[in-house]
Amino acid sequence: MPAGRYKSRSLRRVYTKLSGSKVVVHYKKRKPSKAVCIVCGDALKGVPRERPYKMQNMAKTKKRPSRPYGGVLCSKCMRAKLKEKVKNV
Amino acid sequence: MFEIGRLCLKIAGRDAGLKCVVIDKLDDNYVLIDGQTRRRKCNIKHLEPLDKVLKVKKGLGHDDVLKELKKQGIEVKEKVKRIKKAAPKTEEKSAVKKETSKKEEKSAAKPKKAVKKAEAKPKKTVVKKAKATVKAKAKKK
Repeated sequence: MPAGRYKSRSLRRVYTKLSGSKVVVHYKKRKPSKAVCIVCGDALKGVPRERPYKMQNMAKTKKRPSRPYGGVLCSKCMRAKLKEKVKNV
Repeated sequence: MFEIGRLCLKIAGRDAGLKCVVIDKLDDNYVLIDGQTRRRKCNIKHLEPLDKVLKVKKGLGHDDVLKELKKQGIEVKEKVKRIKKAAPKTEEKSAVKKETSKKEEKSAAKPKKAVKKAEAKPKKTVVKKAKATVKAKAKKK
């Protein structure tokens, strides 16, 4: 039986295989929600879904696509925004 | 729409938001572009046509394209070449290092040989001595 603090589902369960065909349950904190486009609310591609301590060690180029508004807007909304900008000028 | 000389806005990829000129038409879907963007093949879907058409010949060179864009008031940032700046420093250093290393080699080479000789000589003598003792023992017997 798991210890009392592991019974609640606030921690996610990761099954890891050990040598000798042992399977052990590791309890880990849950991942944060997906990054979302500000305009349309769709999930952003190319933005990793990790806890802050992992994001800290990642390179900036791995955390968002390298285009204007990368990691803030989705590509469709970014295109619309750029077109708008040009037309208004 | 995307004839040669058409001023465009790139709306996809890392060059998005930069202006460019169509230099050549490669395909129904693809054109060659240059300007603020890199000089590259580009899908028409990734371009937004603007209202101007520049007088540009087919396959114009990069520098001439920049001149044409300057006339329209579109300036292009020149890339800072980091490699070239760093290169002369390393060359000087390496040249100095080479000189010093050569000197060191010359100075170091002579004593090494001397040391080797010094090391080699006593060994031989020891061997000789050992042989001599063996011979002497054999004679005694």
